[in-house]
Amino acid sequence: MSLTRRDFTRAALAGTGLAATGLSTLGLLTPAQAAERLLVVQWGANWIEVSKQIVAEFQKTNDTQIAWELHAGGSAAVVAKIKAVWPRTQYNVLSVWDPVFRAMIAEDWLLPIDESIVTNLKTIPDQYIQKNAKGEKMTVPLSTAGAFWGYREDLLPGGFSSLEDLLKPEFKGKLCVPYPINLTGLLIVSAAIQRGGNEKNAEPGWDFIKELAAKGQIGEICTSNSEYINAMATGRYSVGFWNNGGWFATAKNFPVKLKSRMPDNKGFLYNEGFCVLKGSPQKAAFEFANFFAEPKMNELYNMNLGSGPTQPSAKTNPMLVDWYYTPEELPKYAYFADFAYLSSVMSEWNARWEREIVPLVRKG
Amino acid sequence: MAMRRPALSAALLWPALVVMAPLLLGPLVLLAHESLKPFVGGRVGGDESGALTLQNYAQIADPQYVRYFLDTFRVGLLATALALVLGFPVAHFIARRAGPVMRRLLVGGLVGTLFLSIIVRVYAIAMTFGPHGPLADFSRIFGVTASSPDGAELMVVLGLLNSTLPLVALTLIGTLQNINPRLEDAAMSLGAPRWKTFFQVTVAMSLPGILSAAIIAYAFCISNLVVPMLVGRGFIVFVSNLIYFRFSEVANFPSGAALSMVMMVISVALFYGLLHLVRSHWQEAGK
Repeated sequence: MSLTRRDFTRAALAGTGLAATGLSTLGLLTPAQAAERLLVVQWGANWIEVSKQIVAEFQKTNDTQIAWELHAGGSAAVVAKIKAVWPRTQYNVLSVWDPVFRAMIAEDWLLPIDESIVTNLKTIPDQYIQKNAKGEKMTVPLSTAGAFWGYREDLLPGGFSSLEDLLKPEFKGKLCVPYPINLTGLLIVSAAIQRGGNEKNAEPGWDFIKELAAKGQIGEICTSNSEYINAMATGRYSVGFWNNGGWFATAKNFPVKLKSRMPDNKGFLYNEGFCVLKGSPQKAAFEFANFFAEPKMNELYNMNLGSGPTQPSAKTNPMLVDWYYTPEELPKYAYFADFAYLSSVMSEWNARWEREIVPLVRKG
Repeated sequence: MAMRRPALSAALLWPALVVMAPLLLGPLVLLAHESLKPFVGGRVGGDESGALTLQNYAQIADPQYVRYFLDTFRVGLLATALALVLGFPVAHFIARRAGPVMRRLLVGGLVGTLFLSIIVRVYAIAMTFGPHGPLADFSRIFGVTASSPDGAELMVVLGLLNSTLPLVALTLIGTLQNINPRLEDAAMSLGAPRWKTFFQVTVAMSLPGILSAAIIAYAFCISNLVVPMLVGRGFIVFVSNLIYFRFSEVANFPSGAALSMVMMVISVALFYGLLHLVRSHWQEAGK
């Protein structure tokens, strides 16, 4: 008896089909019941490290598989990636901050938070939660974060008392600042506040930054957390403007003083957290977000990030006591920028930076 | 039979064309269309409902943007020229002087560097030659300090050179191996000094290979995003970086698309111009 290759292939395929049908009938193959998989976008550095710790706990009681992707550059970059393929995005849960939440709510990409699953949202103060035009809650805030001026005390023992001091010759090449697209232009807003302006009257801020650039005070312009942390660790720069995460990572290795209480300037506060994209496995995504919002996990998350927890019962990292404000200090030192407005001018500010600031820093 | 061969060749082109047309031309057409859309601040991408406009191109016409194009082409040219000057002797040594073991070691080393992530290589350069690196004073040879803006430019050139040098050397090894060494012997036996033989025989006959290596290296340099981003410190910004910021950070796709189109047209024109220039001079010399 001869068996041709074609006969063999047919027999093998038929056998496999029969076997699969049989196993399926017996309930041994249940593809639909396989664990859900979430693709979560998170920042690198401390964010991903603590998130992996929390996911290890999460997976003790939940078989959802978590795959991570890190933000490349600012978190706004993920918006462009989603736009290019929407609605066929692979992402499910995004860790971003207020301006990016606003951009995604405007595009109608997010699922309203299902509070029957995200039960921990109830204890998070309502003012932290971003809502859509219908008033539906769209985010799970995990951290109260901020952007501040500061310096390395070991390199600059005397510090500085006002941003105006940074124009002095001893600060030449010593400043490490974000590209304006990072922190959504808060550097320009900070400089504007210094000269009596704000985000909607930013001209004084541009003038101040031009002065710094023309005098050669700016030593590096960073585009990501990791870049900032590395730059400050080299000791090349003693003064910087960045988010609390970057400062916290620096403070683990070097003495850092944040200038969050300057009489003529402000510190910027905002929230970071999770949102869930439409088309995601809802139950798994909301269970995941809820686990991070649980007070104990919220405490662990923020202890490692150097951010303020959003759960009132969670403890704050003792290192941060001096960084954030008491309720009485908030009106005097804290500034809540209009991120919807800043998002609308970001492209223009980016182009203006390219035209007016880079040529000045290039001259040194 | 003679009629069938061209027809067969043309038919064999079709599979490649069918794949390349949607992969290359399709996105280019979409990019060109995107570059004509208006942009509304705060939104993602071009405004689909707005009338097509040349505004995105008008913005790039600002004289300050010419500087970015010039910087990109100038720094790229510098890195390419250095790669050729340093890569040719390396290739010559491997092709003509090295023994079998040394040749294997050197070629292996050059190929090996190409497998190393560019990020690792660029950071290694920054750590070695940067303001706090053990060889920070290296930049003083060129009359600049590592922490100055010119120091940042030097870091970018070194970063690009790190990738282009192996590319150039590997390309030139093949070229030099294809030149019969007896031609050099013949020139010297007729009284030509060694240096004249090198330039008028070896280098002259390597020109097609040098041109190929230069084009590969230059294309790599002017399209590079990572090197200026990692070691340019925000002072050295290539056109690729401007495009990246527009697409990735501020979601102004139309402006990014307009910059991409302008960059593509200039690059293609530059390459064809250079090719034409070199070929015409070369053919003239050949006569």
